[in-house]
Amino acid sequence: MQPRRPPPPAPGSGPWGPRPAAPLIALLLLLVPVVAAAESESAEDRGQPQDAGLQRRLLQQAARAALHFFNFRAGSPSALRVLAQVQKGRAWINPKEGCKVDVVFSTERYNLESLLQEGEGHLGKCSARVLFKNQKPRPAVNVTCTRLIEKKKRQQEDYLLYKQMKQLKNPLEIVSIPDNHGHIDPSLRPIWDLAFLGSSYVMWEMTTQFSRYYLAQLTSVRQWKTNDDTIDFDYTVLLHELSTQEIIPCRIHLVWYPGKPLKVKYHCQELQTPEEASGTEEGSAVAPTELSNF
Amino acid sequence: MQGIPGGGTRPGPSPVDRQMLLIFSFTLAVALGQMNFTGDQVLRVLARDEKQLSLLRDLEVLKPQKVLLDEEREAMAKSRRLERSTSSFSYSAYHNLEEIYSWIDNFVMEHSDIVSKIHIGNSFENRTILVLKFSTGGSRHPAIWIDTGIHSREWITHATGIWTANQIVSDYGKDPILTDILKAMDIFIELVTNPDGFAFTHSMNRLWRKNKSIRPGTFCIGVDLNRNWKSGFGGNGSNSNPCSETYHGPFPQSEPEVAAIVNFITAHGNFKALISIHSYSQMLMYPYGRSLEPVSNQRELYNLAKDAVKALYEVHGTEYIFGSISTTLYVASGITVDWAYDSGIKYAFSFELRDTGHYGFLLPATQIIPTAQETWMAIRTIMEHTLTHAY
Repeated sequence: MQPRRPPPPAPGSGPWGPRPAAPLIALLLLLVPVVAAAESESAEDRGQPQDAGLQRRLLQQAARAALHFFNFRAGSPSALRVLAQVQKGRAWINPKEGCKVDVVFSTERYNLESLLQEGEGHLGKCSARVLFKNQKPRPAVNVTCTRLIEKKKRQQEDYLLYKQMKQLKNPLEIVSIPDNHGHIDPSLRPIWDLAFLGSSYVMWEMTTQFSRYYLAQLTSVRQWKTNDDTIDFDYTVLLHELSTQEIIPCRIHLVWYPGKPLKVKYHCQELQTPEEASGTEEGSAVAPTELSNF
Repeated sequence: MQGIPGGGTRPGPSPVDRQMLLIFSFTLAVALGQMNFTGDQVLRVLARDEKQLSLLRDLEVLKPQKVLLDEEREAMAKSRRLERSTSSFSYSAYHNLEEIYSWIDNFVMEHSDIVSKIHIGNSFENRTILVLKFSTGGSRHPAIWIDTGIHSREWITHATGIWTANQIVSDYGKDPILTDILKAMDIFIELVTNPDGFAFTHSMNRLWRKNKSIRPGTFCIGVDLNRNWKSGFGGNGSNSNPCSETYHGPFPQSEPEVAAIVNFITAHGNFKALISIHSYSQMLMYPYGRSLEPVSNQRELYNLAKDAVKALYEVHGTEYIFGSISTTLYVASGITVDWAYDSGIKYAFSFELRDTGHYGFLLPATQIIPTAQETWMAIRTIMEHTLTHAY
């Protein structure tokens, strides 16, 4: 399926079935291919259940990493996507280098209310190549997705969200979003969507072939006044990492304006060890040559 | 610790009363801080007589402090607030420990023909651990075990367990499959497997997972109750760091919450199936978690899981994946279902309920009943298979 307009980040990623350049072919020959493509997630009888399980997990990991990256790059809080289903894919594992995964998956809108409704036809499709480097964060992602929402509609919704954010009274007295019973007040949805967008950057950076992150809760928000009409806010999220079951608090600072690239800085707390080590993570959507202005 | 501001512009306490107020402030009990970032505090105030009590009521109109009543008074007020029957209990809301235990008492009373409650032990902080028994009589019928809430933040599991308990008594005599099951077998449900952790998720930290045990040598609290079982204890997928969410504890069954179950099931000696319910991820799994080695009846469990997941899907279209724990979710050692299987319980399953990460642990209450309805069909499938494949 051809996308109408291939979005960034990198050139060369086409629809499913890329033609690698010569050096890439050599690289591919060096990597150990893992048994064949996996079908969709419902039961399959062929092959050994264990291999299929491992394959499926890797494809899922890659799809999630690709989606986090896609959401971040799209920079649109009203066009966020979540994984619907992994459709097909293939993983190559090199014990020394890491893991290369080609994956095709379907997505749906991250609209929490419509999640319970089936078959609205709002399924997008993405294909991605993801490179997980052993023990290193920031998987390399090449992802292409079909358009889910009409561009003009997306711009309108982004601008509406922007207006809602600008109208919020500061200091915001936010306790938790969602509250402990999973409820999000409709007036607070813009904050949540924007927080999810910023968190996508963090989650993309932190995803490896083993670790997988989810946004569990937003626990504090502070919005700053700006001279240039951008949305500028600090917030704390609790991320849930599935394989270790850890809850990771991250402070995130985000600067956004509809249609402009997202700027994110963050600091996540390290797991408490008996010696109480801590680390600092910083990342920015801005290319290295640009100076950050916060 | 916050003091209580006195006076104000409204007709307030008299000078004598004001003194009482001051004395009060100095007799404030320990303030409990909420684990969020807004600086809210909950203060516990002890009132010794009616006069102090009325002073407190005056204070109640002052914001933002919230004042709790004296424990005796509180108990009385509570008994008025708590429901006297299960008919007014909302199955589509989340409840706290007290409300659940109160529901259990009412439930047992209303269905005493087939339901009883058993006190199987106490938690680390000395809370009662209760199990519901569903039985149509006989002595030591082959039995099915279901536990929910072993990880306290997984609120959908307790809610599903409660709904399921009610469903069992409602369907008995109407659903032929369930009726057959109950005629031949007993069902045991432990709703709040980790009561200390659960209380903590209500009072301080919604995302607490472990129990609340403390031991010398570390300031970190709690053991992951689903890593504390005697099966591959301490292996991969569990952690020896007490600060970790998957800390396995100092030795197998070191935790009273786990020991209570082990002792109960072992003493009973006739359990044929065990179902341990968690959230989230939408998965139905069987052993092993501790390694990739398949169990001897892997094919049978695979097919049973497949059927159960299909039955679940047919209710609301919710998609689950299934397989062994190690291949479907991750490698985890010292887990409940591995222990159950190694103890001879052939049908040992672990559920991960809704959702797949949108809300995660904070699943909206509106999803409780749909989740419980679909999960029930899967549980029923497993129980039916257990009945028709006696061993």
